[in-house]
Amino acid sequence: MSFSPLVDRLLEALRVLPGVGPKTAQRMALHLLERDRDGGRRLAEVMARALEEVGYCRRCRTLTEEEVCELCRSARRDERLLCVVESPADMLAIEDAGGYRGQYFVLHGHLSPLDGIGPEDIGLDQLAARLDEGGIEEVILATNPTVEGEATAHYIAAQLEGSDVRLSRLAYGVPMGGELEYVDGGTLSRAFNGRLPFSTE
Amino acid sequence: MQPQPAYLLHKQPYRETSALVELLTLEHGRVRAVAQGVQRPSSRSRARLQPFAPLHVTWVGEGDLKRLRLMETHGSAAMLAGEGLLCGFYANELLTRVLPLLYPVREVFAFYAAVLDALPRPEARAPALRRLEVAVLEALDAEPRFCDLNDAELDPHRRYVYRAEAHRFEALDVGAGGGLDGRTLRLLAQGDWAAPGLAGPAKVLTRAALAPLLGNTPLRSRDLMQRLAARRRGN
Repeated sequence: MSFSPLVDRLLEALRVLPGVGPKTAQRMALHLLERDRDGGRRLAEVMARALEEVGYCRRCRTLTEEEVCELCRSARRDERLLCVVESPADMLAIEDAGGYRGQYFVLHGHLSPLDGIGPEDIGLDQLAARLDEGGIEEVILATNPTVEGEATAHYIAAQLEGSDVRLSRLAYGVPMGGELEYVDGGTLSRAFNGRLPFSTE
Repeated sequence: MQPQPAYLLHKQPYRETSALVELLTLEHGRVRAVAQGVQRPSSRSRARLQPFAPLHVTWVGEGDLKRLRLMETHGSAAMLAGEGLLCGFYANELLTRVLPLLYPVREVFAFYAAVLDALPRPEARAPALRRLEVAVLEALDAEPRFCDLNDAELDPHRRYVYRAEAHRFEALDVGAGGGLDGRTLRLLAQGDWAAPGLAGPAKVLTRAALAPLLGNTPLRSRDLMQRLAARRRGN
């Protein structure tokens, strides 16, 4: 047995969401139709607006419906620091962790020659333009510690060669509360190579 | 099956928590498989299943697409950065592009491992990559034969161009420029791909020999390296 055409289309539409298969889609659709039509209307309205209006910030390329996002406009952020991340989710993670007071640049991806993703696909020209504006003293390369993230960091570093901007890369380390026995070899050997002087403070 | 030594060539996210992987294995050549659950945040394999790390794997499945079962690392991944990393991408892209699936290529596996050893040292990169390229060409029966189109020996005083379709060299007119000179080719014929001064000609030759295997789509990693080099010169 199948539902009416419109309900079927709703089920199918819900399946664009990650992790939603036929069963989950059915549960969601029936919940909206039978128990929470108001919630559903709200969802439809907000989703339609967000999809229409949310774009990329002109300065940092994060997701926002404004021309320049709040973080970029904020006078309390240090404009001399620029942190380059792969995704808005990474940016959010760093913000949640706290401690960083500078600005961001979101690449929306990483260099991956085998997937055909090149420098123009991750906004590196825009990053270069941003750096040419001047005022930035340190660029923090916070791309993921994967081979693609590493290649992306290398490419950006090569772009910056010859300029007097200071470049730094996130350190590799053992996770907090982790036990050395269970840390993978790659992380452990990099943590070893990147060890720091012991500080008693 | 016994666990197979393998290297990850490429990983693509697949569905929510899985990945499609391409592996180079010792006894079965290039293998394509689904690695279930490796993209889960809590998965321990997530960090282990990385390119350039020596792995031991087993898989099940009859068709071209296998299901990866056991995966262990032995030793840690080569610590690649910068230029060496891009060369590693090049090796991976080359192998995924030209090796047929499930075609055993033991020599290629050995030379690939040697490339990973060599990549952290800038001076060792080019010779190691050339040896890998030659191993790939030999495995696919496309290696250059060092003789002219009539199967005659190469004349050290003449210049030649490589004819990939014949796997042989065509002599240029006496006094013509360009091409590769016979003396250099005779040195390459002795298998001396790493000799100083031969790096340039060796690269020209392997590139010409690989071109028909790659078809019309250029290698992206080579393109990336060239753009990076161009940008550096621009600075």
